[in-house]
Amino acid sequence: MTRTQVQVTERIIAAIPIMLGVVIFAFLFMRMIPGDPVDIMMGEAGGVTLEEMDFLRAQFDLDKPLLVQLTRYLGKLARGDMGYSIQRARPVKEVILEAVPATIELALFSLLLALVVGIPLGIASARYQNSVIDRFGMTASFLGISMPAFWLGIIGIIVFSLRLGWFPTSGRIAYGMEPATVTGLLTLDALITGDTQALRESLRHLALPAITLGAGVAAVVARVTRSSMLEALKTDYVLFAKAKGVPELIIVVRHALRNALIPTVTVVGLQMGTLLGGNMIVETIFGWPGLGRIVVDAIFSRDYPLVQAAVMVYALTFVVINLVTDILYTYLNPKMTL
Amino acid sequence: MRSQRGYGILSCLAALAVIAVLLVSVGVVTHHSAQAAGKTLSIIIDTEADRADEAEIIATYLRSIGVEAEVRIWEWSALKERLLAGERQLCLSDWGSAYFDPFDLVIPKLGTSDRGNYSGYSNTELDKLLSQVQMTADQSERKEAYFKAQKIIFEDAPWIFGYALKETEAARGEITNWQPAMDSRMNLHDVGLTRGDTIIVGMKADKIITLDPAMYRDRDTETVLRNMFDGLVTRTWDGKVVPEIAESWTIPSDDVYIFKIRKDVKFHNGKTLDADDVLFTFERILEDGAIAGQSSPRKGLLGPLEAVEKIDQYTVKFTLANPFPIFPQALVHFQIVPKDYIEKVGDTEFAAKPVGAGPFKFKEGRLDDQVVMERFDEYYGGSREIPPAGVAPAKRAIFRMMPEATVRVAALKAGEVHIIQQLPPDLAKTLAADKNIQVKSVDGTRVYCVELNCQKPPFDDVRVRRAMNYAVDWDAILTSIYGGNGVRLACAFLPSGFGFDPGLAPYPYDPGKAKALLREAGYSVK
Repeated sequence: MTRTQVQVTERIIAAIPIMLGVVIFAFLFMRMIPGDPVDIMMGEAGGVTLEEMDFLRAQFDLDKPLLVQLTRYLGKLARGDMGYSIQRARPVKEVILEAVPATIELALFSLLLALVVGIPLGIASARYQNSVIDRFGMTASFLGISMPAFWLGIIGIIVFSLRLGWFPTSGRIAYGMEPATVTGLLTLDALITGDTQALRESLRHLALPAITLGAGVAAVVARVTRSSMLEALKTDYVLFAKAKGVPELIIVVRHALRNALIPTVTVVGLQMGTLLGGNMIVETIFGWPGLGRIVVDAIFSRDYPLVQAAVMVYALTFVVINLVTDILYTYLNPKMTL
Repeated sequence: MRSQRGYGILSCLAALAVIAVLLVSVGVVTHHSAQAAGKTLSIIIDTEADRADEAEIIATYLRSIGVEAEVRIWEWSALKERLLAGERQLCLSDWGSAYFDPFDLVIPKLGTSDRGNYSGYSNTELDKLLSQVQMTADQSERKEAYFKAQKIIFEDAPWIFGYALKETEAARGEITNWQPAMDSRMNLHDVGLTRGDTIIVGMKADKIITLDPAMYRDRDTETVLRNMFDGLVTRTWDGKVVPEIAESWTIPSDDVYIFKIRKDVKFHNGKTLDADDVLFTFERILEDGAIAGQSSPRKGLLGPLEAVEKIDQYTVKFTLANPFPIFPQALVHFQIVPKDYIEKVGDTEFAAKPVGAGPFKFKEGRLDDQVVMERFDEYYGGSREIPPAGVAPAKRAIFRMMPEATVRVAALKAGEVHIIQQLPPDLAKTLAADKNIQVKSVDGTRVYCVELNCQKPPFDDVRVRRAMNYAVDWDAILTSIYGGNGVRLACAFLPSGFGFDPGLAPYPYDPGKAKALLREAGYSVK
């Protein structure tokens, strides 16, 4: 094994106690919040007897002491069983796996949009500091950060769906248009199967949620790229390259940008983690069947197993993303090690 | 060094203060309102965020007569625990009734120590009347008991009695024969359309729970399931119970119901529905752990149902432990499932690919996205009492989860969906002006009120409770917040329910009377 491989393996092993800690914390915190999942499940109805509620509580182990519940839960987890959702009457694993493709797809497109818009805007703003471009870019990014998703999303629907009719108001794809399932990511599946109509339809559905979710990220990326580019453009090696007569484009892209990207990678890594967790607000507005809505709903309905599993998925996402970010650092700056 | 330590202590104290404030604000530490002798009435009004405006208006009314009132906003489940522990003073709450009988409203809300009784109200005379209405089948006797109950509740005023809102739904112009139902269920069997062949419904729900009719407790799931499954009986949009899969039923004694089943009913897999399927449906719910190791949460809805027996291939007998006159109303909410199919494929597979005997058959779907159904061409026609009988006019029905109201409206206007649930009053006006849209309302089946903690001062005093009822101008609240889209309630009963007393007038808005009552109870007023 190379040195990097050893380091990566070490990092993965180190993640196990972190995950365990996160699981236990999630387990305990959920039970500290007042509220009874069985009572919530029964909704409002007459004729609910205490025996019936007790029976259901016992079915979910909720009548046992906390420690017993925890050991049972961890035991099941070790065998790969994430439990049974109290609210949704299905295995937790199914619920989460079903939501993951939609979440990943939206996250990737939002991020792609953020990078495509944010990085060039940041570079241009830095290169032409204090120019019209810079002022425009920074005003736009200021707006991007400030506009709340619930507002931007609804304005987007009113303008682009209702007035202009360009994009649908909500959903992932219209019924009857879906490509054959391969990965669960509709755009990717459409590409794989060569279904251009499905590709166009899924992109049309993705547009508004991805813009709504990506606007804030693009703004952050633009700002971070701009400030680190400004710094990089003032360094000695850039001055030296200029003196040597290296063409400007090469200076900016090869010399300055590569060094300036490290803070951007950090920010993008963190944002990616957040995006992959799903965004309850954007998902609610656009009826997007992702993880964010499920988790928030699970918290409100005190669906302990589902919340615990979701928190675990989040922790895992962050661990992986941190690792990937660190590997990217070493690529951008070979002096760095993991 | 010393001053640094001083700062350390100071910041520790500051942190503790912040924590204390936080704990009080989330309700971990109970706030004891000062009620010195002499004495100003000082209260905290608890509410969820969605009714915060209303709570502020109520607080303003109370302040205007000299009560110190402040509003605190809670997350519901956290608040509920405090309410049931009797730790709070008054809270805005609401409760729905599905049976068109006060049975599932008044008993859980006002029966002593029942699960929805957040006011801690207890009246033995009322409890007696409530058990009487559950045990007897004589409708005139029940009605009389309910009338008496309303008088008692009105006099005791355990709540500031509120209102019921209308349910407003909207549909596109091309939709025909559509009428929102009072119980907010939506059966697309009779709904037609003049253009296209697919009806898409924008649901208010974020998700439905399951596609197995034995595993849910919420109305949204039922709305979707009712289009794939039929019950022995169903309900007209205005609340009357009529036969569906049942041909007819008889009640030989107060605790026995005998249902004759139609012989022409087929499941989506082609098998004819008979008594075995009906038996299986109910046994699956009654028996613990019968559904892939889990128990149905619907058992309690069947009341005292003890046994289901097959008399012949098309006759089923239900035996109850005691009379339960609303049994037919309860049966509306139970959908018949195919015995052979479930026994063959198992419960898990059944929930993934449900087969019913309803007007539409399951095509595909995800519970938090959309559920797609196609017309069942061998449908027996549905209830004869809800014409037109026959197969559904629409070829396909799609239920889409659209939790955001603004987006439902936008999608309806854009023609992406054909019918939407729960139209907020402010948006109803703009939609009503649109020529391509029809907007319809029905009386809702949900009671909104403010529950008073009857166990503790100040609301253990009936004079104070009545004063609260005189102090709030509900008509003004209904007009200003809900666009006049509701009806005042005199007490805890709904006009749509059985045994409602129309002669009982709500407490009028009378601040003078409120002040007099408070003064009498020993409080200073403005």
